[in-house]
Amino acid sequence: MKALTRNSWGRRALLLLLLLVVLAPAFGWASGVVGYAEPLENAAEATGAADEASPLISGPFPDYSVPGLGAPAGTLVSAVVGTTLTLVFALCAGKLVER
Amino acid sequence: MHIPDGFLDPLVAGLFWVGSGIAIGIAVRRARRELGDERTPLLGVVAAGLFAAQMLNWPIPGGTSAHFVGGAFAGILLGPSLGVLAMTAVVTIQALVFGDGGIIALGANLFAMAVVDVLVGYAVFRGLRGVHETGAAFVAGWVAVTASALAVGAGVGASSAFAYELGVTVPIMVGGHALLGTIEGAITAAVYGYVADARPDLVLGRTADEGLSPEVGL
Repeated sequence: MKALTRNSWGRRALLLLLLLVVLAPAFGWASGVVGYAEPLENAAEATGAADEASPLISGPFPDYSVPGLGAPAGTLVSAVVGTTLTLVFALCAGKLVER
Repeated sequence: MHIPDGFLDPLVAGLFWVGSGIAIGIAVRRARRELGDERTPLLGVVAAGLFAAQMLNWPIPGGTSAHFVGGAFAGILLGPSLGVLAMTAVVTIQALVFGDGGIIALGANLFAMAVVDVLVGYAVFRGLRGVHETGAAFVAGWVAVTASALAVGAGVGASSAFAYELGVTVPIMVGGHALLGTIEGAITAAVYGYVADARPDLVLGRTADEGLSPEVGL
């Protein structure tokens, strides 16, 4: 983490991450407007599998939402938490593998 | 692209776990030689950036939306081993924290997005970069995301929930993602072009081409 705040490229990279995070709620809203469907959902509809999905765990932030928070705020919190967790997880994994 | 639990037969899910486990294991062993003060922070930043970028659903008129997957980009920028590790971090966090993709299906989602997308993207880029570098990044992003859609389509199509209708699932997945893949290719090429211009030393193979690690043999 220190290397990221020390280097100028690291600081720029962290700023870019922040920008992506801030954009997430806007994109979430826009894709909701056109109606969200992925090819996998279409394939499930076509073969009658749509009702077979049965999540074993939905995680603390199911579907990138925060229980009790509305869509834009929940999406923003999910983006912050997820991006930070992924950064820390990948850095720690990298450090562990390095040794 | 993320397969939820309940879609895959146990045998199919198990086979995907074996495949992704072997590939990620090889990637970890090879990554030992590559990681260090320079590339470990880059691994973290690329993984975090891919997570954030995957949250951006691009609305497409006509009732669909797609997000950047980024496996090919990870493979091109970081090389196959670190690319597999970066995408493994993303897909695992998505499943465990956000319920995006199942737990039993995690092996399949890792296989499609952290293995196939990364390795196919890397291989296509290496094969075509001599012709045109940015064009190679575009084709790599496009072909790789279509290949991972093929893996998902084959996996669900070989499962009872989808009535073993491979002839339906594969064309829908491959056709749909081949179309959406042009966006994947365009973003891959644009971001790769930007990074290669701004920080050519961060791009694996730009400074020492012979130093490129060979593809993971799967």
